[in-house]
Amino acid sequence: MSEKQRNIKAAERVGAVQSKTDKPIKQGPDFSALFAAWVESHRASLVDSLARLIGQPIGSFFTCLVMAVALSLPMGLALLLDNVERLGGSWQKAAQISLYLKVEAGDDAGLQLRDEIAAMADVAEAEFIGREAGLAEFEQQSGLGQALRELPDNPLPAVVVVTPKEIDKPRLEALRQRLSELPAVDQAQLDLQWVERLTAILGLGDRFVFGLTLLLVMALLLVIGNTIRLHIENRRSEIEVIKLVGGTDGYVRRPFLYMGALYGLGAGLLAWALLAFGLDWLNDAVVRLAGLYGSDFALAGVPAGDGFSLLLGAVFLGYIGAWLAVARHLSELAPR
Amino acid sequence: MIRFEQVGKRYPNGHVGLHELSFGVRRGEFLFVTGHSGAGKSTLLRLLLAMERPTSGKLLLAGQDLSQITTAQIPFLRRQIGVVFQNHQLLFDRSVFDNVALPLQILGLSKPDIAKRVGAALERVSLSDKAEQFPADLSTGQQQRVGIARAVVHRPALLLADEPTGNLDPRLAAEIMGVFEDINRLGTTVLIASHDLALIARMRHRMLTLQRGRLIGDGEAS
Repeated sequence: MSEKQRNIKAAERVGAVQSKTDKPIKQGPDFSALFAAWVESHRASLVDSLARLIGQPIGSFFTCLVMAVALSLPMGLALLLDNVERLGGSWQKAAQISLYLKVEAGDDAGLQLRDEIAAMADVAEAEFIGREAGLAEFEQQSGLGQALRELPDNPLPAVVVVTPKEIDKPRLEALRQRLSELPAVDQAQLDLQWVERLTAILGLGDRFVFGLTLLLVMALLLVIGNTIRLHIENRRSEIEVIKLVGGTDGYVRRPFLYMGALYGLGAGLLAWALLAFGLDWLNDAVVRLAGLYGSDFALAGVPAGDGFSLLLGAVFLGYIGAWLAVARHLSELAPR
Repeated sequence: MIRFEQVGKRYPNGHVGLHELSFGVRRGEFLFVTGHSGAGKSTLLRLLLAMERPTSGKLLLAGQDLSQITTAQIPFLRRQIGVVFQNHQLLFDRSVFDNVALPLQILGLSKPDIAKRVGAALERVSLSDKAEQFPADLSTGQQQRVGIARAVVHRPALLLADEPTGNLDPRLAAEIMGVFEDINRLGTTVLIASHDLALIARMRHRMLTLQRGRLIGDGEAS
């Protein structure tokens, strides 16, 4: 065998030149191959991350549990507020505008007025209470039936009760003003103080939930960031080798991002389960309490839409937390 | 292939790693860099791997100026280089196959391609039957051969080795050097940092001698 033949044979053996069954590494842009490789690389990172989480079941579970508690607190509070709102009836009812019609306006005029008002864009509902119906209701509620019957005439005007679509002080005031200018209306009354209080309570509740959410999101990012930092530390030598053999920051970052997203997914599922069981557990007591007040009120569970939003949010937060942690520590992991 | 033009490396603490080093390496050449500890051998390799940057002069690798290279370009530079370390730098939680496959996974090769090329690389270092084992199950010499297989599996243009026979007995060291010569015969430029002068002398290749960061000798080992 000649020197040249020996070299070719050796080259084929070590894979440095093309043999009949072996092609050199392509340098040109073969996009389908690149895409397939990209998909394979992501699949491998995902499987690797999942295997690492499953490989440490207790540690992974407790990390997810901590994240789940942080997620379920604001979500649970928001769901409870929704339930309280439902318990209190429609908030809009608290901001009703009472239109006292002129005494000379008959029931027909009142009913026509009600229809006109109900057709307005910013009105949710309009209800007409005639003079006789109003008197009967007043007699029943006030306990002054005997005294009222001694009056020569029914002193009460007909009333149109208007329920606005939105509770917004300037809009409500504008609507009240517009309604008071209608010819058949004698007086338009809106308990703005109550509306203001209600708006303030709702605003406070919203702010509290928002602030709590913000704080717990930060806590969650710290938890996931710290967890990923520990994973990075454990894999420091591996990362250094990967960088030495040409791994980009994106390649190094990828499994940690999947890990963050998987932690988020686990936390989201746990949080959903915690909320569902928590609300169910509370519901027995709430139903008993409501029953004592003659109400059939029961807590609503976690709506599917909210549950999926919770899952998506948790995955996103896990991903972001991991991204921040890797970005923070990647530069420290230069090969030594 | 490689060109050092008045390359200097001074560290922030004032220590000078290299003094205005100038030399060139042709494509396909096999050369040793030798010198005592602290002579600058490792610094030279670290500059070629862009793990550090020169503080003066110009360092060209395949036409690319490494003193000007951006951080984003470094991984792509390293994909043209294979590296073998004295301590192997293997991943002990991965099988031999997975260790060798790492550079190919980074390059984004398909699974069948990876299997084929890893098989060829392991055959080259006579470890075909150890593919499924873990590095901890192998002897030091076998671990070094896994490191070599990983360094050449992606067919780099340049192979760097830092004291690759430092922990090996003379028979194994000669065997490892034989593998490097095989690789070199296929056109890969091989640069080995070693202080094993007896071994270097036997191989009769070009030898650069460093002393306290200065080039004090450049010629065939004898």
